[in-house]
Amino acid sequence: MRKRVWLLALLLGMGLAQGEKLKACFIYVGPVGDAGWTYAHDVGRKKAEAALPWLETRYVESVPEAQALPVMDRFVQEGCKVIFATSFGYMEAVLEAAKKYPEVIFAHATGFKRAPNVATYMADFYQVYYLNGLAAGALTKSGKVGYVAAFPIPEVKRHINAFALGVRAVNPKAQVLVRWINAWYDPAKAREATEALLAQGADVFAFTEDTPTVIQTAAKKGAYAFGHYTPMLKFAPDHVVSGQIVHWDAIYIDFLKKVKEGVYTPKNLQKVDYFWLLQHKAVEMGADYGVPINPKHVPLLQKARMRVGGKEVPVYDRILALLKDMSSPKPTFDPFTGPIQDRKGVVRIPAGRKASLQELLTMEWAAPGVVGDWPGEPK
Amino acid sequence: MEEALVRAVLFGTPILLAALGALLAERSGVVNLGVEGIMALSALAAFAAALGAGPFLGVVAGVGAGVALALFLGLFAITLRANPFVAGLAVAALGLGASGMLGKRYEGVPLETALPEAPLALSALFLALLLHLLLYRSRFGLYLRSVGENPKAADLFGVSVEGVRYLALGLGGGLIGLGGAYLSLAYRPSWTDGMTAGLGWVAIALVILAAWEPLRAVFGAYLFGLLFFLQFRLQGSVPIPSEAFAAMPYLLVILVLALSGRSRAPKALGQPFERGR
Repeated sequence: MRKRVWLLALLLGMGLAQGEKLKACFIYVGPVGDAGWTYAHDVGRKKAEAALPWLETRYVESVPEAQALPVMDRFVQEGCKVIFATSFGYMEAVLEAAKKYPEVIFAHATGFKRAPNVATYMADFYQVYYLNGLAAGALTKSGKVGYVAAFPIPEVKRHINAFALGVRAVNPKAQVLVRWINAWYDPAKAREATEALLAQGADVFAFTEDTPTVIQTAAKKGAYAFGHYTPMLKFAPDHVVSGQIVHWDAIYIDFLKKVKEGVYTPKNLQKVDYFWLLQHKAVEMGADYGVPINPKHVPLLQKARMRVGGKEVPVYDRILALLKDMSSPKPTFDPFTGPIQDRKGVVRIPAGRKASLQELLTMEWAAPGVVGDWPGEPK
Repeated sequence: MEEALVRAVLFGTPILLAALGALLAERSGVVNLGVEGIMALSALAAFAAALGAGPFLGVVAGVGAGVALALFLGLFAITLRANPFVAGLAVAALGLGASGMLGKRYEGVPLETALPEAPLALSALFLALLLHLLLYRSRFGLYLRSVGENPKAADLFGVSVEGVRYLALGLGGGLIGLGGAYLSLAYRPSWTDGMTAGLGWVAIALVILAAWEPLRAVFGAYLFGLLFFLQFRLQGSVPIPSEAFAAMPYLLVILVLALSGRSRAPKALGQPFERGR
């Protein structure tokens, strides 16, 4: 009898110990080894698990959008209290699952539809693209900067525009030649798009797609490039100048802590939308972690000059000053501050005003200096 | 213009190698729908070996992996007489899946010494010529074609139908493997999951476009390479939307296919051989 009591107590204790852990589950659109989007989310998941002892995580990778709902059903059955869906295409499935399971908390990356138990989140690069644009403007000799872009959606357009504004701030005559590959992941297309831009004289490259192909191709011809999404310095140590790096863990840790503390409940997420930038440490400017600018290219950027408020300053100093400002708790500078016209001369952001979040999220116009096809360009 | 021709050849090369490999098997009557998976696994094998033992052994490993996976397909399609289309698709899925799983640790790893593309591209051209001579100027070529056209007759004359088919499928696998090695060692010296991105399927279509002729495959592969490059070279300078450009290589291939008239497949293509039937 006594034995039984002990056993019961033990079981109860185990149950309680387990109950203390918060179970968060992740649904990924790609393989965790894609070296891009899904990989970065998985790094964030692991860092969150390491930082939060009371957290337990699970993930399912390579889930096609049509399969999202069954995967979330399974997650709920397995006791997941928080579900992170990390692809834009999961939006409708997330909302459906949220209705089915009102007690579960959902968070959807890059989405714009919310519900009492569905929040949205995004780590955005537009500030970093602007800073890299400054460097690109200083480095181009031909005045032609190449940009290999995935899909003509507002997010990518916002990044190209921020980059082009940076390029033009240093080099007002420079052009940003854009080529769309209409794929997130297609190394062959990225390669040939880069080759086409090289053939047209581009000597500095930036891109939005999920492979280091642009960097490798540009480096072969001695052209500079900026990494994207993960640290890519190692793919061309002499030619990668800087880049954009994501830190999804910043968002995951903050979100999960607030769930644990009861700040976020399945009833109050209707207005919870993370759009996290440099100041939140959700993104980083760099060729590698902790390397904002490849030391090999620092002298070049110190020599290059640009006009800021009527004064000549080294481009390098300007980049670091803006990086510091935008990383501070109260940034004073924003790349999308008016007056900004589009490439057709239409005023898009009036003088003295910053672009609103809504304007950033729906950006369709093309910045001055952008050359190339631009699907969806407003008349 | 010169640039465009160079790109046509350099990007056409992996497609050409894979198409030659598929073509060789098909001339002996074996359909190989596993090209995409064979290419992917070879690309991984080549990359992994090159990291440890240098690019030369990388090529050897890529070719070896191609031969091995093709012979594995042969086990089902030739010996066990499984439906060759289903078996081929299974091999495609197997190669893609296995390379994705085994390749995780090679993601994001750069290759220090990449292979130059031009010599490999030239040897691909040379291999096409060699294959042409093999098919039309050698006794083995005669056997191979007869096995693909009329295996019963070949069998009566004492040719080992299964032996010739295994040899053609295996050698073809080596060519496809070389195409995979070219991708991960030269064209894009790194490895990522799914880096073949459909090139294997293009190669299979190219075999039909080339009417099962190695020299026509050269033309077709380079045409595809040229169109692929031009879609980015012309984008933005002509008033055609980028999405239409993206579809253009495929549309033109279909057009050429339609205009090239009826090309005749080997008569016994896709038919498992069983003596006495």
